Amino acid sequence: MTTQRDKLFYGLLAATAGVFLYLITFVFFKAPTAQLQAGGLAQKIFYFHVPAAYAMYLCGTVCCVASAMYLAKPSDARDAIGRAGAECAVVFGAMMLSSGPLWAKKAWGVYWTWDPRLTTTLLSVLVYVSVVVLRAFAGNGEAERKFASALGVLGTVNLPIIHYSVLKWGGNHPTVIGQGGGGLKDPRMVHALLVGFIAMTMLAALLLWARARLALSISRIARLEERAIASGELDY
Amino acid sequence: MTQSQPDAGTLTDPSSRSTEFVAVQGGGETTSAAALLVTAYLVMWALLLGFVLLSWRRQGRVETRISELEKSLAGGDPQRGPAD
Repeated sequence: MTTQRDKLFYGLLAATAGVFLYLITFVFFKAPTAQLQAGGLAQKIFYFHVPAAYAMYLCGTVCCVASAMYLAKPSDARDAIGRAGAECAVVFGAMMLSSGPLWAKKAWGVYWTWDPRLTTTLLSVLVYVSVVVLRAFAGNGEAERKFASALGVLGTVNLPIIHYSVLKWGGNHPTVIGQGGGGLKDPRMVHALLVGFIAMTMLAALLLWARARLALSISRIARLEERAIASGELDY
Repeated sequence: MTQSQPDAGTLTDPSSRSTEFVAVQGGGETTSAAALLVTAYLVMWALLLGFVLLSWRRQGRVETRISELEKSLAGGDPQRGPAD
């Protein structure tokens, strides 16, 4: 039976697919190529790379808030949302960390440098990876949940450091938008970036929703099994 | 038109790198940029697809676990049917 919530989920899924289709078409066929110093044609990675970074911040924030709430007052729902936030942050972080070096190869001449923004970003993604690995292999006990929640909060504390690392410590990573940046000089570039942000926000919402529901289902089944075993209705 | 622009691959000084994006017309582009662009998009979509497939498999395992739980509960008490 399809519930109202399912309908909303499938509606959001269809809308996200539509926005991504439009984004890809626009980026490849309408958005202009940038100057060589910015990577030329490879600069078009920017329209997915930056929104993926933003989506990682978003999922990290969800992870942090849910984890902090879980530490204050534990519940299965808070744990599930925190876990989903960490998992999605890893996915978006991996998208960002894989696309960035390919663009950097063209724009900077190297795939990777240990500059402050890149290093702090890698560190943050690794913290979220540790949360996911901990939850996957260390069991589902109260202590493991609390430790993972504390790690989730810690990973997000690092996010503002990533954002301001370029302003504070310099480095290779340029600031294009915001303080010190020249911005996007063509309205089609601005449009592509805005659509990228919308698409990634919708994708992040979808993934968070699906993974949180899944994690919550797993917790509920585990509790049902425990109750069934305790009452003697289940043998194993 | 792009003859006056230095190749990005030779830039070593971070201060000389672009802090703005401006549109340019044709010329001077190499095929490596297109390859990097396509690779980046393929890797990003592969990561996303992998995550969705893993979620799908995990969902399948959850459904199997529910079925087993229902069978065990129904087997333990013949009067009880599977839970809806």
